[in-house]
Amino acid sequence: MNAPDNHFERRARELYREASRQLDPAVVARLRAARRDALAKGDRSSLAHRLLQLLLPAGAFAAIAFVALFMSSPVQRPTTVKPAGASQVVDVDGELPPDAAAADPTLYQNLDFYGWLAKNSDSEASR
Amino acid sequence: MESHDGRADEPDEDGMNSAVSTLDTDLLAEDVRTAPASMNAFLAQVERRAFRMAELNLGHREDAMDAVQDAMLRLVKHYSEKPAQEWTPLFWGILRRRIVDLQRRRKVRSIMVGWLGGKDDDGEDLPAWEPADTGPGPLERLNDAQSYADMAAAVKLLPQRQREAFMLRVLEGLDVAETAQAMGCSEGSVKTHLSRALQRLRDQLEAWR
Repeated sequence: MNAPDNHFERRARELYREASRQLDPAVVARLRAARRDALAKGDRSSLAHRLLQLLLPAGAFAAIAFVALFMSSPVQRPTTVKPAGASQVVDVDGELPPDAAAADPTLYQNLDFYGWLAKNSDSEASR
Repeated sequence: MESHDGRADEPDEDGMNSAVSTLDTDLLAEDVRTAPASMNAFLAQVERRAFRMAELNLGHREDAMDAVQDAMLRLVKHYSEKPAQEWTPLFWGILRRRIVDLQRRRKVRSIMVGWLGGKDDDGEDLPAWEPADTGPGPLERLNDAQSYADMAAAVKLLPQRQREAFMLRVLEGLDVAETAQAMGCSEGSVKTHLSRALQRLRDQLEAWR
């Protein structure tokens, strides 16, 4: 029972294989060219794919680093005019007179007192 | 009658299994495949048979060439990193889908040409779909040309899924699992389609027995 069935399938396959072997040379040449073309395009594609695989993490890392750097850098805030009483001017040089605008206004209000004090202290010293 | 999802009813499963196992042991044993050394070697090995298969399905040489070329390119592009043992079902699966795509496109084009009455907007004749390449070709140089032509004609009359099962399983020699993978269906469906295909072909090619 199996023998004739098997013969049928074997015969079909033999014919198919033989027909494939006996292809027109022009078709064979075109198939060969198509194969080479596919392999060349595939190589280029896989090279680009690998390059992309390599560059993608590097690019992502660079972007994250840039954002992190941007976030951590001190922000240049606009200078605000503080109330004069709260300001504490530090004279770095120590030689320049205090800035009249920034100095304590009580100093100027009691100038007469300080002048009298200085005068008295000088006369005390001369005695 | 085949169902629309490509699955068929599976009557007489035991009979089919025995037929398939006979195919496995007797027919496929003679053709033990080894993993190809490279993609180039694999494609060189299958390209002629792929062309014949596409030609049998499409009945048109240029379309067959396009289908094979596209299948080769897709395999190289997307699956060259896969193990070589997997290339065979992947390649035949890609080729099968490409053939189906071309058949659908052809159908749509013929419908469009029918709607437009064979004329374009300028009243010019639309390019007609070229008929199957029936002129004298290399097949006539074969001793078995007539037998092959008979088989090809009978195979073309099979329903799509039966034709695919027959070509992949019997002609190409894929095993049931590989055929199922290439066809995108279950192994049971492959056996059913193959059994029906063989039955029809035996009826049509009675002289071979």
